[in-house]
Amino acid sequence: MLKKDIAIKVTNMTKTFRIYGDKAFTMKERLVRGWRKNSRPEERTVLKNINLTIKKGETVGLIGVNGSGKSTLLKLMTKILYPNKGKVETNGKLTSLLELGAGFHPDFTGRENIYFNAAIFGLTKKEIDARLDKIIEFSELGDLIDSPVRTYSSGQYMRLAFAVAINVDADILLIDEILAVGDQHFQEKCFDKLEELSKSDMTIVIVSHSLGSIERLCDRAIWINDGVVAEDGECHKVIQDYLKECA
Amino acid sequence: MKVFKELYQYREFLYTNVKKDIRGKYKASFLGVLWSFINPLLQVVVYAIVFPYIMRVQTPNYLVFLICGIIPWTWFTSSLMNGTTSITNNANLIKKVYFPREILPISVVTSGMVNFFISCIIILIFALFGGTGISWHIVFVPIVAIIQYLVQLGFAFILSAINVYVKDVEYMVNFLLNLIFYATPILYTADMFAGSKFAWIFKINPMAYIVDSYRRIFYAHLMPNFKQLGVLFICSIILLVIGYSIFKKLERRFAEEV
Repeated sequence: MLKKDIAIKVTNMTKTFRIYGDKAFTMKERLVRGWRKNSRPEERTVLKNINLTIKKGETVGLIGVNGSGKSTLLKLMTKILYPNKGKVETNGKLTSLLELGAGFHPDFTGRENIYFNAAIFGLTKKEIDARLDKIIEFSELGDLIDSPVRTYSSGQYMRLAFAVAINVDADILLIDEILAVGDQHFQEKCFDKLEELSKSDMTIVIVSHSLGSIERLCDRAIWINDGVVAEDGECHKVIQDYLKECA
Repeated sequence: MKVFKELYQYREFLYTNVKKDIRGKYKASFLGVLWSFINPLLQVVVYAIVFPYIMRVQTPNYLVFLICGIIPWTWFTSSLMNGTTSITNNANLIKKVYFPREILPISVVTSGMVNFFISCIIILIFALFGGTGISWHIVFVPIVAIIQYLVQLGFAFILSAINVYVKDVEYMVNFLLNLIFYATPILYTADMFAGSKFAWIFKINPMAYIVDSYRRIFYAHLMPNFKQLGVLFICSIILLVIGYSIFKKLERRFAEEV
């Protein structure tokens, strides 16, 4: 069990993916040449021996170049992926916003889709009922909420999805590159909401390439480079070092 | 126990998923949900017209006889076919959101059950006007349906999990269901094969027992064979436990493989 003030703990964790070529080809090859040892799929290590501790109430930014393993790390924390070695432990109710509008059905109304989407996050009907007005108000959709989602513009769609996601009330919130939602006004609103949440005792982990927003929201940044933690510490300093390295 | 606790926590997801399955599927069509009942009816009509011609069917009230087999069979095929693809078709969810994965096959089989119970009304209408009438034996329908549910869930767990890794499964299931359809006494009576070298097929085919039970209830107004159903129940529990453990084992790499 984790200590009470720790939200996420990653210990000696390694993650590898199997890389397949064309499966049909591999099958034929195997039939012709027999099951040889070297016909096993190639393995790629994405994260190597990661150790991290994130305390309750912290807001942490994960930065790094494309393909460095940030999103994979986030998925491991959500238990979408499982580590090959080591452990990932979390403490409290966890919600991940890796994709907005998961489970939306275009032919149902916005109101019905709020239920679909929130239910995927593990909310019960009672809990959704209690949040319904807040969600509709945040989305600013007004009467549109009773029209089928397929009639929405992509911006309206995202607004509804974000409104649901942000009102789930988790202890731990994991966010992957979804900060730019809707028009200027709505983006500001989302950002203010996130800022408010980061000051509460919610634990937030954000993956983003928008270093400005990371610096505004987070007090700590972790720089992942090529599957290892390159630097972990005060937000401004880590970002400066990261920029220096990239330049 | 942890399994049930988590499933209970996610009960709203199960409910909305079933709702989406039943109402969402035909939402763009004019007849809407009615299609899930029209489809088996049309199938019955085709067999009822064609079959008496190619085989000399001596079964009285053949239409009622047929529909007692087709309606449960529709549930069986939809559970297995949609169950097999339940994980792969929701790849974007699996990759992006955490939730108990078993909810996907469970909701496929459950929405099939809702359809089945509504379709039972069709069976009753046919029985009423098709010459056989209705008797109190229909109180046993839920018992048979629960056993059918468990059998199908067991298969859905295994097939959906394997289909993630070996996509060929769904094509094989398609073919096998076609085969099993003819190996189940739906269009004909099992008695026609009594003593023949194919009689063993009905002994190992769970759907043979299930269709027979529904027929006893709706068509012949007899008690179901509880001894057979008891054995089938125990087998279905065993299948379910094996299926679930296979599912749990394969589940860990779902997000990487779909």
